[in-house]
Amino acid sequence: MPILQHLCQLLYDSSFGTMLRESNNAFSVIESIHVLSITLVFGTIAILDLRMLGLILRPIAVTRVARSVFPLTWTGFAISFITGFLLFWAESAKMYPNSAFRTKLILLALVGLNPLIFHTTVYRRVHKWEALHLAPWRARAAAIASITLWSGVIIAGRAIAYF
Amino acid sequence: MLHAWFIALAHSPLGQFMQTSRWGFAVVEMVHLLGLAVLGGSVLIVDLRLLGVVLKRESALTIGRDLGRLLMGSLGVMVLSGIALLSEEAGKCYYSPAFRLKMVFLAATVLFYFTVHRRALQVAELGPPTLFTRAAAIVSLLLWLGVGVAGRAIGLL
Repeated sequence: MPILQHLCQLLYDSSFGTMLRESNNAFSVIESIHVLSITLVFGTIAILDLRMLGLILRPIAVTRVARSVFPLTWTGFAISFITGFLLFWAESAKMYPNSAFRTKLILLALVGLNPLIFHTTVYRRVHKWEALHLAPWRARAAAIASITLWSGVIIAGRAIAYF
Repeated sequence: MLHAWFIALAHSPLGQFMQTSRWGFAVVEMVHLLGLAVLGGSVLIVDLRLLGVVLKRESALTIGRDLGRLLMGSLGVMVLSGIALLSEEAGKCYYSPAFRLKMVFLAATVLFYFTVHRRALQVAELGPPTLFTRAAAIVSLLLWLGVGVAGRAIGLL
């Protein structure tokens, strides 16, 4: 058995994992919070992305929008990460071979890479373009990548139940 | 009368497709969720502006107008995808207390949005947040949350 699969099985068989899985309400409550926090992540970051694409809030500087949404996005990300891990804990042995779950993890890795590249390149010079209605093409590319990848995360996440 | 509409929806070509297709329901559910994410974000930012938490120095009317378009667009996507989801089990939803509650919340929320909430944005445009704008923001957040929680309950109850 591969080591990762073994770890998944250990989590699955643990008493906490079993308790979550067999609980009447805990699992669906955590699941609901998970969905709500993903809404917070995608809904807030999409506003920054659409601003950089010049579609909304054009009179407001990109940095002002960014500073307003980042704390919300990060809060949402932290909550969705914790609740997501709890959901995984309960179903880990079934998640290991689930292709939608694997796709979601890959998309999450890519969606993390995107702001890393964005912040170390074009965003470093943001003070030169923050007031422009339409951000430079590299920022627009990052915005489109962000919207696409986060949509993919949501789609793959929903698909987990169907595999 | 209303019950007949629900039955007609279930028997419509859309309903038949949603009931028999293997991926139809899943795909429409994904679209519904994507709509929810965009809607949730715009509701939150507008209401946090009314509360004076974010974008304090920016025009409340600009934020309300731009994000209002986003909100209405995503609400449109959610209503259309919602009708398709409903057609899959319209007969059951008609009797579901969670579904009925969701529709009541939705009607109240939309009504509030076009009346009190709109007025609150005009007040917020003129100066710092007041008790009225703050209360409107809190009520708006609670109403939208109510729609979501009742909606989530449809599948659980």
